[in-house]
Amino acid sequence: MKVPIILKVNGKEYALEVKANEILLNVLREKISLTGTKYGCGIGECGACTVLLNGRAILSCQILAVSVSGREITTIEGLAENNKLQPLQESFVDEGAVQCGFCTSGMILSAKELLDRNPDPTIDEIKDAIRGNLCRCTGYVNIIRGIKASTRKIRKRRKE
Amino acid sequence: MSNSQVIDYDFDYYQPQNIEEALEYLGREGAQVLAGGTDLLNTIKIAGQQPPSLVYIIGVKELDFIKFEKGLTIGATTLLSEIEKDDRIINQYPALAESIHSIGGTQIRNQATLAGNLCNASPGADSAPALITLKAQAEISWKSEEREIERKIIPLEKFFTGPGATILRPGELVTAILIPEAPPFAGSAFKKIARVKLDIAKINCSVYLTRDGDLCNQVRIVLGSVAPTPVRARRVEDFLEGKKLNLSLLTKATKRATEDISPITDVRSTEAYRRELVSVIIRDTLMKAWKRSGGEIEK
Repeated sequence: MKVPIILKVNGKEYALEVKANEILLNVLREKISLTGTKYGCGIGECGACTVLLNGRAILSCQILAVSVSGREITTIEGLAENNKLQPLQESFVDEGAVQCGFCTSGMILSAKELLDRNPDPTIDEIKDAIRGNLCRCTGYVNIIRGIKASTRKIRKRRKE
Repeated sequence: MSNSQVIDYDFDYYQPQNIEEALEYLGREGAQVLAGGTDLLNTIKIAGQQPPSLVYIIGVKELDFIKFEKGLTIGATTLLSEIEKDDRIINQYPALAESIHSIGGTQIRNQATLAGNLCNASPGADSAPALITLKAQAEISWKSEEREIERKIIPLEKFFTGPGATILRPGELVTAILIPEAPPFAGSAFKKIARVKLDIAKINCSVYLTRDGDLCNQVRIVLGSVAPTPVRARRVEDFLEGKKLNLSLLTKATKRATEDISPITDVRSTEAYRRELVSVIIRDTLMKAWKRSGGEIEK
């Protein structure tokens, strides 16, 4: 039996009918065609499905779409504004933090939550914040560098 | 069919707005609490469990609170990430903050709840050792046959009955965790050993003690992942109580821990290694708790 829900994603509202057993990750990818959020393990251990819920990083493979009706969701597609990349996205590109790109959406969103609450994290704080995001390509070095570099970019942009 | 992508059966879904409604739905046959979902959804997808109805309690705002009044009370739907960053908890109950921080990663702690971690009752539950050493209790609520809300308080030490099993009966909901006030000269610490930071513990340990001058007054040591439920290292506690702490006493005392545990070999570690680690982890955690109580350790 389908129930009506309103998903607020990246500032837009989507009125949908879903069954209670539909998982948020699948609804984002298949019903709203936001495929930036990835299905990695499906059991909450890789972080590829990370989205922000009211600004907090969560695992969209571990939550039902009905449970988040009415709450603000941000996916990777919601970061760039007017075709201008967000500082984290720019820094990831600059620092070579993207190889296959599969972990990237989740990595950036976890980093975004960190920087929103701690604009100048130490390397250890960065590592701790992204410990729920696995990368099989980069060895994390450039990812951490990219996150650190973006803090300087953000500081600069704030001053402008 | 086991798969990690979709839930392939239909269930009834309820989203109560208050405790009364939640207990009403939970009192019906086949009802299962859904909180953060980071354990339950995998139990459904992978282990193939099919609870006929799910009651999503995160919407019950009355259960989302951290209250300091004659000790600490944490509501059942409070997110782990809120608990671990509360300054008062970091200062007054450091072992609790540390143990919660060691659970999963950022995302899991932004969804999961303390009550959920306890009700899932993994023998390696990271929140259990600290809470048991701190003499925490669970407030459990349910609706009686007369439709009245009933409550009882159970010490967490009596809460777990086996791997994945608790004393909860159908219809019962953990509504709060209660922790007594920490007296002066108390010290607590938590340590977890795992393969990577996202992992479940090979072994974890919490120590709570009170110091009387240079004597160790009361000491409570709880170990996880080395028995069917979290266990007290009573033989070590008995040895240390009332004594002046020094390294050689600690080494002697912690060797007795191997008699209090019954570790197994699993994907994360071996029985032998766990037995090897137990004395070390108790010693390290105890020294930290002792220092936090203001004590010093002689060599």
